[in-house]
Amino acid sequence: MAEPARFYFEDVVLHGVLETPAMTVTEAHVALYAGLSHDLPVEPGAVPEILPLCLTVGLGWRVPQPPLAVLAFMGFEWNALAPVRVGDTIHSRSRTAMKRAMREGGVVIEERQVINQRGEVVHEGKFTFLVAKRPAG
Amino acid sequence: MAEPSRRFFEDIEVGEEYESPGRTVTEADIVIFAGLSGDYNVLHTDAEFMKSSIFGERIAHGLLGLAIQAGLFTRAGQPYATLAFLGLRWKFRGPIKIGDTIRVHGKVSAKKETDKRDRGVVTVERRVLNQRGEVVQEGETDLLVERRAG
Repeated sequence: MAEPARFYFEDVVLHGVLETPAMTVTEAHVALYAGLSHDLPVEPGAVPEILPLCLTVGLGWRVPQPPLAVLAFMGFEWNALAPVRVGDTIHSRSRTAMKRAMREGGVVIEERQVINQRGEVVHEGKFTFLVAKRPAG
Repeated sequence: MAEPSRRFFEDIEVGEEYESPGRTVTEADIVIFAGLSGDYNVLHTDAEFMKSSIFGERIAHGLLGLAIQAGLFTRAGQPYATLAFLGLRWKFRGPIKIGDTIRVHGKVSAKKETDKRDRGVVTVERRVLNQRGEVVQEGETDLLVERRAG
């Protein structure tokens, strides 16, 4: 069986931009998230700020590019600029801000924004990943 | 029913520390999180593939650990009168495996006034520890907290 395609460190394009499809954040998402984490919405209709962040990761799998060969998610910074409410439709846009080769793999810094149905950037941040190099041969 | 009393910006002191209860992270947590987030990375979903990885087994999504610590933090003491979560700076230090029991240790590292008189920013340093006391995640979170009225 062929190995599934993966996007290796060498494939990452500096300043490359990826835009994901959108999804509507529903009461069901909030209920599942709150039940799972006990991180509860502050009022009815509110969306806990960590939930859109979690949803962008899944949206990131729905782009016309194989998944990044992540060895480790090292860390990130995240800012909630404006609230996301139940019923909002969000998508994410990411851009490779930095790539640096290491002995084992390479570090990739990605800037990511969450954008609502009105085109407003509601959350944004920077992610640092350790990404595998293409296997030899 | 009376609302549980909430702590306002003025009530919170720099240097205060909190310790949450523990929570055992289960396979079900990981499966639900994969379904909710849409992150089906093999790291979290393919037990056979992960046998040959450096972890030897599936590991929890980093953001699942973040979400669980957020929930644990709300059980670590009297809740803040939080208006919003403003942001965070976060590092993943080690894996959370199925069956690990995690807890969060928090310490108020800063308080900052804002332009608005009815609220302020509280920064909390957090460490997520496993049952062996190893730090698996850590970082700082900024919370917007209400001031007492009047």
